[in-house]
Amino acid sequence: MQSPFVRLENVVKRFGPFTALNGVNLSVFRGEIHALLGDNGAGKSTLIKILAGVHRPTSGTIYIADDPVSFVSPREASEAGIGTVYQDLALNQLLSVTRNFFMGRELYWGPRPFGLLRLEEMDRITHDEMIKIGINISDPRQAVGTMSGGQRQTLAIARAIYFGAKVLILDEPTSALGQKQQMEVLKTMMRVRARGDIAIIFITHNEIHSKLVADRFTFLALGEVIGSGTHADLAHGDIRTLMAGGVEMRDLEAEVADAAGSRSG
Amino acid sequence: MSTAQAGRQGRSEADRRRREGGLSGLKRRPEVGALIVMLAVVLAIGFASNGNAFNALGLKNNLSIIAQFGIIATGACLLMIAGEFDLSIGSMIGFAGMSMAMMLKWGLPFGLGEATPATAFFITLAMTLALGFLIGFIVTRSKLTSFIVTLAFLFFLRGVTEVAFRVINQSTQISGLPDFKQDSWFADLFGGEALSWIYSLWFAFGGNVNRFGAQWVSGLDARVVWWVVISIFAYVVLSRTQAGNWIFATGDNRESARANGVPVEWVRIGLFMFTAFCATVFAACQVFDTNTADAAKGNLKELEAVAIAVVGGTLMTGGFGSVIGVFCGAITFGLVANAVFFIPSIDGSYYRVFVGVVLLTAVFLNESVRKRITGGI
Repeated sequence: MQSPFVRLENVVKRFGPFTALNGVNLSVFRGEIHALLGDNGAGKSTLIKILAGVHRPTSGTIYIADDPVSFVSPREASEAGIGTVYQDLALNQLLSVTRNFFMGRELYWGPRPFGLLRLEEMDRITHDEMIKIGINISDPRQAVGTMSGGQRQTLAIARAIYFGAKVLILDEPTSALGQKQQMEVLKTMMRVRARGDIAIIFITHNEIHSKLVADRFTFLALGEVIGSGTHADLAHGDIRTLMAGGVEMRDLEAEVADAAGSRSG
Repeated sequence: MSTAQAGRQGRSEADRRRREGGLSGLKRRPEVGALIVMLAVVLAIGFASNGNAFNALGLKNNLSIIAQFGIIATGACLLMIAGEFDLSIGSMIGFAGMSMAMMLKWGLPFGLGEATPATAFFITLAMTLALGFLIGFIVTRSKLTSFIVTLAFLFFLRGVTEVAFRVINQSTQISGLPDFKQDSWFADLFGGEALSWIYSLWFAFGGNVNRFGAQWVSGLDARVVWWVVISIFAYVVLSRTQAGNWIFATGDNRESARANGVPVEWVRIGLFMFTAFCATVFAACQVFDTNTADAAKGNLKELEAVAIAVVGGTLMTGGFGSVIGVFCGAITFGLVANAVFFIPSIDGSYYRVFVGVVLLTAVFLNESVRKRITGGI
């Protein structure tokens, strides 16, 4: 069996007196989608920010391809091959698809930052990369604001991969999208998975989406891993229980029913 | 499968965007409104002045004020595209003019001897660039809005200018400086005449003749060349270079630009320095042209610069704008500001009425352009 491409060992993160992560272990493999699930405040965001180089862990180690790494900035993390697609996508609506695709990594002739942009070449690459990932944009010079939410997610993913991401962190890529667009994003994820060389961390609230695409699951609650396993390991019921932070769905349903009853009573 | 179904399957999200021809694509360009307004104003003023606004002298006088507007509005435009304002432009003009004239009259600071036009200019430029840097540094570090920070500098710099005038010069005006542009090519670069070959050619072809049959006007003011050069520079940087991409991104969505490795702090600091540079060039052209300085110079110019930038299609919220639009906007404003000299029957204050109407119209127009390029979202 191959060794994990990214491994977190006993990662702890404290913000002052608050413990956001309390000894988290996580293994992500190439060519697999690893779903990271948990309720709000479970520590998912902190975890990805540590991986993306935004925060540094208080203790614990991150390994990439068995080498321990320590990122001091998002730039370092991205140079090490960690590509993060944030919820707000980091796109500029008024700029063209091409200009967004190459934002911060433009192709140019001449001295930085006043080098002349190689716009034709950038347009061509953007068009080709978008086709590779399954979207045919007729005009790479159209503003990103004209694209659908699913297309924007796909653009952000294509950009991360083109610029050398070996680990793709997707922060709730299907939330805030319509049904059809959600499926579009899941299809994009499966295409990336099929390449086999990229490890995908899929952060989501959505149990159905995670079951559709994920190979492995890790559940976080209150800063700790409360369950993990492969698709086969976890029976249907487990996922639901773990999603709710270890509380049985039945109990939750009862609580909701109680609350409804207390109005009339 | 029926054909109807096949048709539906071939459809994608991109197809919902209506294909637009060349003409309707034009509507999405920020400078179109500014261009139309400019053409209308050129025609109107040309007719109303019986062509006097565009005879040899009229053209020179109009271009002189147009260039003044254009120089500062170009700086304000780039800064606004990056999502910031600079209300200190006018006071910076007063400060730079004071600084240059004072050195030329009273010598260099710290008893370093006589000033030449070049030393006066470059010492002043060093100060204004440092001030621009300071403004940018405060804005980016404090995360205060640039509106309030530059408002503070509007008062501060104007006050410093007046105090320095009174303390060193005992008067808030300097006049009667030697005519440096006669001897110094450097002063001539700002205050002299340029493109005189156009006027010579005009004379050679039978125009540009005064009452005595000699050549009437010898050339354009040098600031016209500065305006054109600054505009071309700003156009190339904005639309063709990496820095331009960063300027747009900084104004459109700063956090996303930062996440992609764009140095958003440096972009903004650099642009505050660029507006300071534009204000200094403005002041240098004035000082070396008239050989005078006045503590009130540049008053309210910051607001005119912002107005021209908006009329040129720059979005108040940043992320979108055009140097070509600002070029047209400067022509419009300059012609209308000067119209009273060519159409004596009108009241000069109609200029402000015009600015108010055009500004408000432009804001609505810009908003509709923004909606159109983002597909109405």
